[in-house]
Amino acid sequence: MNKEKVLSLSDVTMRFGAKQVLNGINLEVYQGQIIGYIGPNGAGKSTTVKIMLGLIEGYQGKIEIFGEDIGHGNVAYKRKIGYVPETAELYDNLSASEYLTFTGELYGLTTKEAERKAYQLMKEFGLEHVFHKRLSSFSKGMRQKVLIISSLLHDPDLLFFDEPLSGLDANSVMIIKEILDQLAARGKTIFYSSHIMDVVEKISNRIILLVEGRVVADGTFEELQAQSKEGTLEAIFNQITGFCEHKEIAEKFVEIVSGGNSHG
Amino acid sequence: MDDFTSLRVLDRFKWLFQKLHIDYAVMRKILQLKLTMDGRRMPTVFNGSRVKKEGNQFKKSLWMYGFYGLLLLTPFLFLGDQYIFFMSILFSVLMFIVMTSMVSDFSAVLLDIRDKSILHSKPISPRTLNAAKLVHILIYMFMLTGSFVVIPLIVSIFKHGIVFAVLFLFDIILISCLVVVLTAFVYLFILRFFSGEKLKDMINYVQIILSVAIMVSYQLVARVFEIVNFDISYTFTWWHFFLPPLWYSATFELMLNNNFSIPIIIFTGLAILGPILSILLYIRLMPAFERNLAKLLSDSKRNRKKSLGLNRFWAKVLCRTKEEQTFYLFASLMMKQERELKLKVYPQIGFALIFPFVFIYNNIRSSSFEEMSNGNMFLVIYFSLAMLPTIVPMLKFSGTYKAQWIYGVAPIQNKFSIYSGTLKACLIQYFIPVYLVLSILFILIFSIRILDDLIVVLLAAIAITLISYRLFDAEDYPFSQSHEFMQEMSTFKVLAGVLVVGVFVLVHFIFAKIPFGLLIYIVLLAVGILIGWNKVFPSGTKVGSTS
Repeated sequence: MNKEKVLSLSDVTMRFGAKQVLNGINLEVYQGQIIGYIGPNGAGKSTTVKIMLGLIEGYQGKIEIFGEDIGHGNVAYKRKIGYVPETAELYDNLSASEYLTFTGELYGLTTKEAERKAYQLMKEFGLEHVFHKRLSSFSKGMRQKVLIISSLLHDPDLLFFDEPLSGLDANSVMIIKEILDQLAARGKTIFYSSHIMDVVEKISNRIILLVEGRVVADGTFEELQAQSKEGTLEAIFNQITGFCEHKEIAEKFVEIVSGGNSHG
Repeated sequence: MDDFTSLRVLDRFKWLFQKLHIDYAVMRKILQLKLTMDGRRMPTVFNGSRVKKEGNQFKKSLWMYGFYGLLLLTPFLFLGDQYIFFMSILFSVLMFIVMTSMVSDFSAVLLDIRDKSILHSKPISPRTLNAAKLVHILIYMFMLTGSFVVIPLIVSIFKHGIVFAVLFLFDIILISCLVVVLTAFVYLFILRFFSGEKLKDMINYVQIILSVAIMVSYQLVARVFEIVNFDISYTFTWWHFFLPPLWYSATFELMLNNNFSIPIIIFTGLAILGPILSILLYIRLMPAFERNLAKLLSDSKRNRKKSLGLNRFWAKVLCRTKEEQTFYLFASLMMKQERELKLKVYPQIGFALIFPFVFIYNNIRSSSFEEMSNGNMFLVIYFSLAMLPTIVPMLKFSGTYKAQWIYGVAPIQNKFSIYSGTLKACLIQYFIPVYLVLSILFILIFSIRILDDLIVVLLAAIAITLISYRLFDAEDYPFSQSHEFMQEMSTFKVLAGVLVVGVFVLVHFIFAKIPFGLLIYIVLLAVGILIGWNKVFPSGTKVGSTS
């Protein structure tokens, strides 16, 4: 297999004020991989993605995407990237058609092309009837679909999906999972971060676990299983992050809910 | 949460609510919450003035209403005892202000769909919920109308006596009821036939109209005394039955002028029956209203693609690169569709259209029309340019500013094309319509001789736009900051903007004195703009960094 290196991070560190967010990340990602990027809240997942997209500056270390150092200030590499942000922020006084055409054009599509493609993709999601309606009237799931479409309009080679499934129903989740699979089969690379462990377990062919700004596990699901001798990704996650008090916390919580007089 | 005086007053009527099987404690809780939220909303009367976010904005806005009452209503009390005229003007103003305030600021109460999921899911009887809603509206109306009429009411005691004042108060109460129901009917009507998005647009336009009307009325009220010194008698026509202000002014004719003609008696009857009937109707239609509220979140009727033909044309003509065209189109859409931005910008456009004529009007009263139309009075068109230094800094704000991540993510070759396209869109969308209207009217007034002056004004407008951008907000992306930061716009900057316009007026005036001066000036301006624009927004892709 002669797969091309799409992305590499070497010794990437980042601090916000006094807080060290990333503690030296080293990563190499190859074409066609679907990477599940997981970790507890505040581990630095979104920060890593935002640094790679050039949304946050001031990192230390070296990041290469498509063989080019992104610190050199050339934004052309972004043309081949699609991004779904964690928070579904859109210019929601625009209609779906206006917003998608706008983003498509930003990635170099012609107006006609962007609009035609956007319409066809919306149609596949069963949203053609709201194509000319304002995004502010969209439900969370519909907005999420619009975001996913806007990240794919320009046929990118590298995808950053930050919680792409939030708000989607089970059927849509199946569609998206299948889309990711087929995109990877066509040589696209997908960088996928989520908190839903069983989805990550099923769709990723490589899982990276980040804790406190450091990569603590990296491998296929089977490799991680072998390492930690746990059955599910959820259990692996708990084991590696050293979290085992969930029972105690839950017990206390329920106790308080049902009005136990534990405080005397 | 504060304990509100209005609620303590309400406590006295606790027995009444309990008699009506309303859970008073729960209703009070809901009202307390609602009143707290009202205090945190920004009322439209404050639009444009710089107010800190702390404190109860609603209470502060009541002082403004008191002031408007003094300014807009009191003068009519001094216009003699032909009540049918003066009182109907007064009641028209009253109805207009109260109704627009009701629509613009209180729509959040009448149309709160959060109520459905938050309150209706709790174990509260519908009776209590409806009572809470009704009492809330009544408290609001009482305070708003109260502060608006308190000064005129006191003045009327001294001017026309106690009988007049009592009648006045009684009429005001009836009118308030009528206005509440009428507002609800307007909503009901719009929701029945249009989508929620359309309604939000309409509320937005009412807010804009209110802002403009208040500003313009400052200019006009001072002249009311001069305009209204006519002495004509009232002649009745049948369609007067449809004018509520006449109903109420008729009560004064009846009671104080002992006018017992049939129309006056019918008017008085309508004055009393109108509110009562409409409230009965309102109660009947309440369920339909609640049902239609669900549509508020929808955008159901719009399913056609809006044509961007003209915008596309201008984008092609005005923009150098494809990227700039994209931002031009995007900015045009944002400018036309973002309600918060429109609320801030459109009043400025209204002033820009009206102020030049206010000055012309002032001038006509001191000199003759011929004298003026041969003079330099057309330079007042520069007053409309004063909107540009105010609007340009507003373009960096948006209600959905968080969507700005797209600028960072997209492979934008030349980030200068973002603002370059936006400013061009601003000129075409906001300035050119004003300019065209003013130019046509000014040519009618001053003849075609001022054509070259008008070209200078257009070029000056472009130059001022560029200068304002350079002075106030180079660097930021458009539509990328929260409106909450807009108040930072300091007085110094506003003055600087006016000063820039002033300099252009002066230069124009000087060049106009020189033979062929204007032609030279046009060439100078055009060249200056071309060089300046290229300096501020360099083309080419050398500048790679996105931030």
